[in-house]
Amino acid sequence: MAENTLLRVEDLKLYFRAGKGVVQAVDGVSFTMNPNEAVVIIGESGCGKSSFAKAILRLLPRNVEHYSGKIYLNGVELMEMEEEEYRQKVRWVKMSLVPQAAMNSLNPVLRVGDQVAEPMIVHHGFRKEDALNQAREMFKRVGVPVDFAERYAFELSGGMRQRVAIAMSLVTVPELIVLDEPTSALDLLTQANIMNLLKRIKQEMATSFILITHDIATSSELADRVVVMYAGQIVEVGDSRRFFNAPLHPYSAKLMASVPRLRATIEPEYITGQPPSLINPPTGCRFADRCPMRFEKCDQEPPTFEKEGRLVKCWLHE
Amino acid sequence: MSVEIQTQPGAEAAPRRRLSPALQSIVRVAKYSGVKLVMLFITVVIGVYLTILIANMGGYVDQILRGEIREGISQRLRRDPLYRTLTPAEQNKYFESEVLREEERLHLNEPFAIRSVVYLTNALQMELGRAQNMSSDSGSRQVRLIILERLAPTLLLMGFSNMFLFFGSIFIALSLSRHYGSIWDKVTVALSPTSSAPPWFYGVFFILIFAAIFRVLPFGGMLDAPPPTNKLDYALNVMKHLILPSSAIIISSLFISIYNWRTFFLIYSSEDYVEMAKAKGLASRDVETRYILRPTLPTIITNFGLLVIGLWTGAIVTETVFSWPGLGRTAFRAIGLFDTPVIVGLTIIYAYLLAFTVFILDFLYAVVDPRVKIGG
Repeated sequence: MAENTLLRVEDLKLYFRAGKGVVQAVDGVSFTMNPNEAVVIIGESGCGKSSFAKAILRLLPRNVEHYSGKIYLNGVELMEMEEEEYRQKVRWVKMSLVPQAAMNSLNPVLRVGDQVAEPMIVHHGFRKEDALNQAREMFKRVGVPVDFAERYAFELSGGMRQRVAIAMSLVTVPELIVLDEPTSALDLLTQANIMNLLKRIKQEMATSFILITHDIATSSELADRVVVMYAGQIVEVGDSRRFFNAPLHPYSAKLMASVPRLRATIEPEYITGQPPSLINPPTGCRFADRCPMRFEKCDQEPPTFEKEGRLVKCWLHE
Repeated sequence: MSVEIQTQPGAEAAPRRRLSPALQSIVRVAKYSGVKLVMLFITVVIGVYLTILIANMGGYVDQILRGEIREGISQRLRRDPLYRTLTPAEQNKYFESEVLREEERLHLNEPFAIRSVVYLTNALQMELGRAQNMSSDSGSRQVRLIILERLAPTLLLMGFSNMFLFFGSIFIALSLSRHYGSIWDKVTVALSPTSSAPPWFYGVFFILIFAAIFRVLPFGGMLDAPPPTNKLDYALNVMKHLILPSSAIIISSLFISIYNWRTFFLIYSSEDYVEMAKAKGLASRDVETRYILRPTLPTIITNFGLLVIGLWTGAIVTETVFSWPGLGRTAFRAIGLFDTPVIVGLTIIYAYLLAFTVFILDFLYAVVDPRVKIGG
C-alpha cells in the first residue's frame, strides 16, 4: 500500500433487508483516496451514494443483512475493530459527518454550542468551558456569529444550521469528513456560500472530503477527483479536470449532459428509464438497459479498466 | 469569506417597548398564568356542577330523601305514647309539621336549582359537609374525614404499584428499543395481550394460588387482625398485605406499558439527531439520556402527570377483591348508597388536582422544551 494513502476501501458490501428481498445498496465498492483530497461521489438518487457513506462510517441501520469488505484508514483496518474501540478511536476523531438535513440532525432541545462542543468532551476529555470555547472558535471559522452558540436549532436559518453542522464536523479536526448532500436542502445562494466555505476549509485545515451529491455543477468547484456510482457500484473514477472535460463511461456522459447550461442553446438531456432495482440487479453491465452504446459484450459484467490513471467499468474502454 | 445575509429569527421577535426584557417576560408569564387559572377554574366549576346534577339525579334524590324522612318520622311517632292519644286529624297535623321541620333542616323545602348552587359554592370552598349514609371508621360523618381516612391506603397501593410500573416499564423499554428484534423484545410483544385482563382478574388467581393453596400471603385487607404494635412489624405487615394487590396491578399492565414505551422510543431513536450522536462517538448511555430521553421528556412528563391524577382515584374492583380500605371502594359504595356529599367531595378533589396538574404541566413543558414558550 502506498505510504500516502489516507483511505483504502476494498470490496465493500452493504445489503439491507427490505419487504421484497435484500437490497444490495453497496455492492463490492473499492477505492482509495489521498490526504487533503476532495473526492466527489455523484450519481442519481437511489444508486447507493448515501449507503456508501454510511458503510464507510459504520452507521448501520437496523435492517442490515450483510456488511463486509475492508476499510483501511492510514493503514489501520477498521472493519475488524470492536464497536467500543471504534467509537473511541475512530468516530469523530478520525472521521466525521456533515449530514443531509441539518435541521433534523441537531437535537432540538440542546443548545447548538453544546452539541458542537460535545465531541471535544467525549473524545479529548475537555472541560465543558474549554470545549465551548473550541466550539466558538469553529463558529468563527465557518461564519456563524459566536453568540449563536447559545441558541437552539429551531432559532437558526437553514444556512446557519448547515454551517453549525460543518462546525461540528470540524471541531475535532478529523482527517476525513464525509459530507452527505450538505447543500441539497438549501437555496442556490446559500449553496454557493457553503461550497466556498468548504473550499476555504480544505485549504486552511488540510482535511480530506468525501462529498456526496447529485448536484454536479456545484460539486465541480470543490472536486479533486470524481467518483461516479451507479446501481451500488463505482462505474468511473477520474481526476476532476479530465472528467468534467470528457467523461469516459456512457452513464457519466449522460449525467454531464443533464446539467443545464446558462448560455448554450443545448437542451438538458435526461436518461431514459430508471436505475435497476437493487434487489435483483441485472447480470452483466448494470447500465446496459439504458445505455445508448450497448453492444454484445454488455451482457457480461465488465471489469474495471485503467486508462491513463482513470478507472472505468465499461467494455468500451477495454 | 462572504458574510451571509439572513434573518435571525427570535432576535427581534417583538417590538421593544419601555419595559426591560426581563420585566416583559414576567408580565407575559403572569398574564398567561392568570388567564389560564381562570379558564381552569371555569372548567372545574362546570365539571363539579355537572357532577352535582348527576349525583342528585337532577333532583330525584330529593324525592328519595323525602320518602325516607316520612318513613322515619312515621316510625318514630308510632312508638310515641303521647302521639297515640291525639285525634287522627291532630295526628296528621303533627306528622306534617314534623316532616316540614325535618325538610327545612335539610333545606329540602327550597327548589333544587337554588340548592344545587349552594352545594356548588360549598364544594368549591372545599366545605364538603356531612355524609348522608356513610361514616368513617372512627364514626365521623364528616366527608373530609371519610376521604382522608381512605386516602392513605389508596396512595400506598396505587403509588407503589404505578410508580414501579411507570419507571420499570420505561427502563425496560429503553433497553428493549436498543435491542430491537431480540428474543426479549419478541417475548414482550407476544405477552402484551395479557394486559387485556384487568388487575382484579389476576388478583383472583393470585389469591387462589398464594393465599388459598400455598398459604404464604394473606387473602386481603391491609393489616392482620390484631395489628402489630411495634412500628417495624407494622410496616412489614402492611408490606406483606401489599404484595398481592400491587403485583396484580403491575402484572396486568406491565407488558402493554413496556410495549408502548418501546415503540415510542424506537420511533424517537430513529431520528437523525440520534444517528448523529452515534456518529459523534457518544457512549450509548449518553445517546439515550441526552438524545432520546431529553427530547421526549415532555411526553414522559405528561404521562407521569396523568398517572399522578389516576393514583387518587384508586382502583375500585381491585380494592374490593383484596378488601383494601381505599378510596376506590369508598367511591363505589357512595354511588351505591346515593351518598351525594361523598360523591361530590371526591369529584371536587379530583377536579382540583387535575386542574392543578394541567397548570403545572404547562410550565414544566416550557422548562424542559425550549421550543415551548409560555404565553408566547
